[in-house]
Amino acid sequence: MNKTILKALIGLIVLAALLAVPRYVDSPYALHMMILLFLSVSQGQSWNILGGYAGQHSVGHAAYFGVGAYTTMMLMHAKQVVPWVGVWAGMAAVVVVALIIGSICFRLRGPYFVLASIAVAEIMRLSAINLTTLTNGAEGILATEIPAFKIGETVVTEFLTKVPFYYIGLFLALLTIAVTYWVQHSKLGYYFQAIREDQDAAHSLGIHIAVYKNIGLVISAVLTSLAGSFYGIYVGFVDPPTVLGLDVSVQIMLICIIGGMGTLWGPVLGSLILVPLSEALRSNMITDLLVKIGLVSVDSKVGVFLKENLAHAHVLLYGILVVLVILFMPDGLMGFVKKLAARRHREAV
Amino acid sequence: MAVFLQSLISGVLIGGVYALIGIGLTLIFGVMRVVNFGHGDIMMVGMYLTYLLFTLMGVDPFVSVLISFPLMFLFGGFLQKVFINRVLNAVAQNQILLTIGLGLIMSNTVMLIFTSDYKILTTSYSSSTIQAGGGVSISTPLLISFLITAAITAALGWFLMKTDTGQAIRATAQDRDAAQLMGINVSRMSVIAFGLGAALAGTAGALISPTYYIFPQVGGTFTLKAFVITVLGGMGSVVGATLGGILIGVTESMSAVYISSGWKDVVVFVLFLLVLLFKPSGLMGKSRT
Amino acid sequence: MAILEIKNVSKFFGGLAANSNVSFSVEEGTIMGLIGPNGAGKTTLFNCITGYYPPSKGEVLFDGRRMNGLQPDKVCKLGMVRTWQKVRPLAKLSVVDNVMVGALARTSSLKTAREMAMEQLKVVRMEHRADFLAGGLPIGERKKLEVARALATQPKLLLLDEVMGGLNPAESEEIIGLILDIKKHGLTQMVIEHDMKAIMRISDRIVVLTSGEKLTEGTPQEVVSNQDVIDAYLGESHA
Repeated sequence: MNKTILKALIGLIVLAALLAVPRYVDSPYALHMMILLFLSVSQGQSWNILGGYAGQHSVGHAAYFGVGAYTTMMLMHAKQVVPWVGVWAGMAAVVVVALIIGSICFRLRGPYFVLASIAVAEIMRLSAINLTTLTNGAEGILATEIPAFKIGETVVTEFLTKVPFYYIGLFLALLTIAVTYWVQHSKLGYYFQAIREDQDAAHSLGIHIAVYKNIGLVISAVLTSLAGSFYGIYVGFVDPPTVLGLDVSVQIMLICIIGGMGTLWGPVLGSLILVPLSEALRSNMITDLLVKIGLVSVDSKVGVFLKENLAHAHVLLYGILVVLVILFMPDGLMGFVKKLAARRHREAV
Repeated sequence: MAVFLQSLISGVLIGGVYALIGIGLTLIFGVMRVVNFGHGDIMMVGMYLTYLLFTLMGVDPFVSVLISFPLMFLFGGFLQKVFINRVLNAVAQNQILLTIGLGLIMSNTVMLIFTSDYKILTTSYSSSTIQAGGGVSISTPLLISFLITAAITAALGWFLMKTDTGQAIRATAQDRDAAQLMGINVSRMSVIAFGLGAALAGTAGALISPTYYIFPQVGGTFTLKAFVITVLGGMGSVVGATLGGILIGVTESMSAVYISSGWKDVVVFVLFLLVLLFKPSGLMGKSRT
Repeated sequence: MAILEIKNVSKFFGGLAANSNVSFSVEEGTIMGLIGPNGAGKTTLFNCITGYYPPSKGEVLFDGRRMNGLQPDKVCKLGMVRTWQKVRPLAKLSVVDNVMVGALARTSSLKTAREMAMEQLKVVRMEHRADFLAGGLPIGERKKLEVARALATQPKLLLLDEVMGGLNPAESEEIIGLILDIKKHGLTQMVIEHDMKAIMRISDRIVVLTSGEKLTEGTPQEVVSNQDVIDAYLGESHA
């Protein structure tokens, strides 16, 4: 069978299965996990466009995630604006922020760019803490009542179960994958990669560096903002550390580093590893497992310690993963897989 | 006027400690061309070390510098040998990510051990002040830490200028390949430089622990501040870092008084962006050609 | 007709003059050689012409248009493109993708760009390398890739910065053939080269730079018999 047809077929089957999940799965927990997975894919994929393809390693993507989340939540909380409308306001706000950041940060290269991106995200976080009248400061915004979307008297959407969130999350993940695919297969993708590989060479070949970096940033920021809005509405709560903290930026970046930057499926692979792992830690699954197989007893000091602390250890895990990946597979899992495949290919030949 | 003088003086005093963090970062950057994003977390480790020495053994925070400086030096040397050394020739992004990862490991390991509660180290002199006349009072712990900072900076200057090892470090910073050709053990100099950088950061942590909250995530802001300081002073310049530290200290304390304490860090970061934008080689650095 | 005119171009770095008062012009369809000892300011002049540095003084006219202050991307769009002394392959992209990036300066269609790129790869005889990673090529092929990528931008003037540097005699010979082929297609070229024999063979005219200034200009025969040039070069080899 033709390879492309095979790929398309697998894609269709996976898509059909994903669409069918809510019909057959009732467990809110399972749906919740899937939603987290979709969220992670869309976060990673959005970063990938700027960081992976254009090579601009932003460590400040929390700025876009947080501004999107905050804008939508503030509008919903204060003015009962339907999220369907609010997300557009979020995206508009993020475009403004991104263009300001772009005009400052893109004059800088390498570590200076990274520093500037962190500084901007920190300015956003501190502003969210200090602009209490708008953002409710450090307490954050709690808004679990999502106004129903009505046209006339007909209710178009209501968010009563996790199912609508599931489909929106799926759509978001597919959208970001599609955008990445489109970028990869267009002039834009070639120009991004040329800038990543060698900025001076790219410049000499007729590429307007600042324009293309800003295009990459805006695409990436808008998609990140969508993910942020989605997160805010789904969780029903935003506060400065959870949507604007440095951890958020690192986590977004990590999805791509682990999976493989600048590849279409890297962020998906990264999410498939990161989401279950951090969930296993958060829900104490690992401690339970250790107890179950008899390695640790519940009442022992170690058992109590693990039970109490491992749930907070997912960021520690991020740190360990970053270090291991950078030292041992700097091209991420996709790079690692490709290398293995190439080796096998060479041995076969 | 008294308010102005008061905030100027406390700005200079705290700026001295910032300078220590900045000097460590700039030393590491100078010798290895690695930007250490885990620098603030190393400082945080120094804070907890001081906290432990104080609560378990009753060692005064300022005296504990004598213990924490060599310990942090070894810790830094260990980090360099085991981790940083492997990415010296890697692309800058990978170096940055590695140090971010190390920082996360440090802060979250500390959080697992000590929880994320704020700790306060209360000494007999924590809130004592010296009246300097004209309504201006100087915080005793800040003054002591400034004096220790000045002594350490002077000692470091002497070490770098007058000793063989110091000169070898400076040669390595100037031109790594040439230094290697001249028979300087470049990789040893890197270990020493990272050790010194960590020791300086750890000392800064010890010095501010009587006046600052101690918590696992305290490092992040300090990493950023250390960058702001080194960028202001020109990457790789020890004198620049000292001046940069004092400038940031003063900016902070002034904006805390005249704007609000909630916005003081924002002022610093905005200043940082402006410098990056208009004078990327630093206020004290030569202009780029 | 002169396609490129350099008028009294100077470039200062701090107080140091890397180029001072350089003037000459390049006739359409010819090859202009640019020679001079190390540090004579050849690459700086290239950088001034292609927009990497704005000249401190003087004017660069291309096709009658003043180029001062234009950025390299604009310079490329107007038809002037350079290669790099220290090659700059887009390492993680394939050879054909590298050349496509050049071609995309003239089209937005990937399909057209790929066709254009394959054409240029044929010119440099590297079609068989199309799908190799550029970062893995040996130096000789990297140099040819630079040329193909530059040609793909469809320039009117090609500036080659030491394309033969570091190559063995056979590889250099191939590049010489390539440069002469390109000339047959009517493309104007300006070539920086260290290998005197090679530059004598390919150039129609030669400009000699020493310590940033133009020492002399003329046909290869005039230049080799010029006493100042002989002194400058002997001076270099004795130093």
